Amino acid sequence: MPAATLVVPACLLVTALLVGPMVYLGRISLNHYDASSMMTEALTLENYVRAVADPYYRGVMATTLTMALVCTTTTLILGFPVAYWIARMQSSWKSLVTVMTLMPLLVGNVVRVAGWVGLLGNQGFVNAGLQGVGLIDEPIRILYTPFAVALGTVAVVLPYMILTLASVIEAIPRNVEEAAANLGAPPATVFSRVVWPLALPGVAAGCTLVFILCMNTFATAVLLGGSQFKMMAPAVYDQFSKGSNWPFGAALAFILLIATLTLTVLGSVLIARRSRRRVAA
Amino acid sequence: MIITRRHALAGASAAIAAGAFGGPAAAQASEVVVGTWGGDYGALLQSEIDQPLMKPMGISVSQDIANNDPRRTKLMAEKGSRRSSMDVACMNDIDSYTLSQAGILETVPTDQVPRTAEVLPVFKKPHSIPHIYSAMVVLYNPDKITTPPKSYADLFDPKYAGRVGYSDILYSFNMAAANIGAGGTPNDFSAGRKALLELKKQNPRVYPSNEALAAALKSEEVWISTMWLARGFMWKKGGIPIAWAVPEEGAIPILFEAGVPKNSRAKDAAFKYLNAMLDPKAQVAFAGKMGYVPTVKDAKLPEDLAKEISLTEAQQAKLRPLDYEFMQKERGQILDFWNKEFKA
Repeated sequence: MPAATLVVPACLLVTALLVGPMVYLGRISLNHYDASSMMTEALTLENYVRAVADPYYRGVMATTLTMALVCTTTTLILGFPVAYWIARMQSSWKSLVTVMTLMPLLVGNVVRVAGWVGLLGNQGFVNAGLQGVGLIDEPIRILYTPFAVALGTVAVVLPYMILTLASVIEAIPRNVEEAAANLGAPPATVFSRVVWPLALPGVAAGCTLVFILCMNTFATAVLLGGSQFKMMAPAVYDQFSKGSNWPFGAALAFILLIATLTLTVLGSVLIARRSRRRVAA
Repeated sequence: MIITRRHALAGASAAIAAGAFGGPAAAQASEVVVGTWGGDYGALLQSEIDQPLMKPMGISVSQDIANNDPRRTKLMAEKGSRRSSMDVACMNDIDSYTLSQAGILETVPTDQVPRTAEVLPVFKKPHSIPHIYSAMVVLYNPDKITTPPKSYADLFDPKYAGRVGYSDILYSFNMAAANIGAGGTPNDFSAGRKALLELKKQNPRVYPSNEALAAALKSEEVWISTMWLARGFMWKKGGIPIAWAVPEEGAIPILFEAGVPKNSRAKDAAFKYLNAMLDPKAQVAFAGKMGYVPTVKDAKLPEDLAKEISLTEAQQAKLRPLDYEFMQKERGQILDFWNKEFKA
């Protein structure tokens, strides 16, 4: 049996479970909304035009992009040192540390967010602690703020970034760093001229993964951001579930998909070019 | 039994297998799936209806738990399907109208649901049975607001700036209450919209769920809100410092109903379930636990409970029912206003 045939089951599965529903969703997005029957068959771009022309949805998209970029950058900054430490670890504790990195993913997203609600609420652990030590008199608002969403999101996506970076950093030979140091490069130069350029493919992969997850944040945005903070995934859900407006919800979903895909491809291409230039130099 | 993702997948696999090997799954009259809210409502259905009334008839009940909006959307999406994912759908009165108009709900046969004879005439509808009802009142913290509010419009008072809270999931009812408070009519919300935009300047808070609003009332972050009287009753029992006032201009009634989708494959059992929902003992249990008022004439509440959760005759006479046709037609606009102009 040729090896190529081995990929057929996976391809069929993806076609049936991903491409099929997406084509169906795409078709729905071209329908016309009707209040009583949910939609009537049509071939119109009105839903896309409405989504792009409406300042509210442009604002929701801007919030989503900002949140995704902030969380991706924060995750990279926080994750890189940890990934480097894990990658260079020689001790037998390495497996344990790797498993511990994965700990946040062992709890369901909603359950984890419920924990954050308990911590960040007005009567939560953080406010009670601050009041207990006399730093504040009245509870400060942490829950239902963009900060809470960023905090909750970073906590979810950090393991993805750390593990992706660690696997790439592990592949960078330790002796190239030692060679740079022997030639007089201080640690900052070793990092910026040796480790960082060689880790760029991992940075690209980690950022791509994390950015996609952040763009599609749902439970964290709803439960920690509250009703007055809106990202794209909850906006899509609102149209499907509350408004029963499937055509517009489908159009919003495709706009989110296209924006995520475009930025991801663009980011990866830019990092790949930069990486090639550095290596060539 | 609660339907989990695993159950749903198992069910879907079984349905596929049945479709492949023996045509559509044979209808099993001994099982009904009830689309319902979770929490106390779902638990009371289990303890007061499923176990004592349905089990002796040999009918087992599964619950498909979700909020009102996803359930309505699911029923609309399944309209063309051979089989609905639920046999009994619990819903509020606006959705009952929408689903009835869309031809999704079966007509309730009075011979199979004989308890409809006991339903208060004002609540009778062809495609659903009324289960329980309540009214939208003004909830407030009596420690912070010592003069009881009199109107939905009291939420607009600048002295409560930053202390007004709303539950997001009740957006259409919140808007309707604001509209009545602002002097609007059931089929024109422009007065309500204007009043809400003014209120927005006073930094009202919108919470993602009723439970989140309850937590805000408990922590005294919020002092005043519009909410079902029944919820107020439950929360007060739970130790939240609240009282309520029925607005002088008339309160919005809310009726929670149940119907059977036309594509249910267990209609006989489903109609038995509707009949059981009208059982007087079960309705009294819902009143005692959740504060919702029975819809059947022969359900007698203890006097002190009735005084607490029922409206007086004068308050009942002033009830301000919603215009269902308007609410259905304007659903998208109401949601857009709430999300894009009020909350944003």
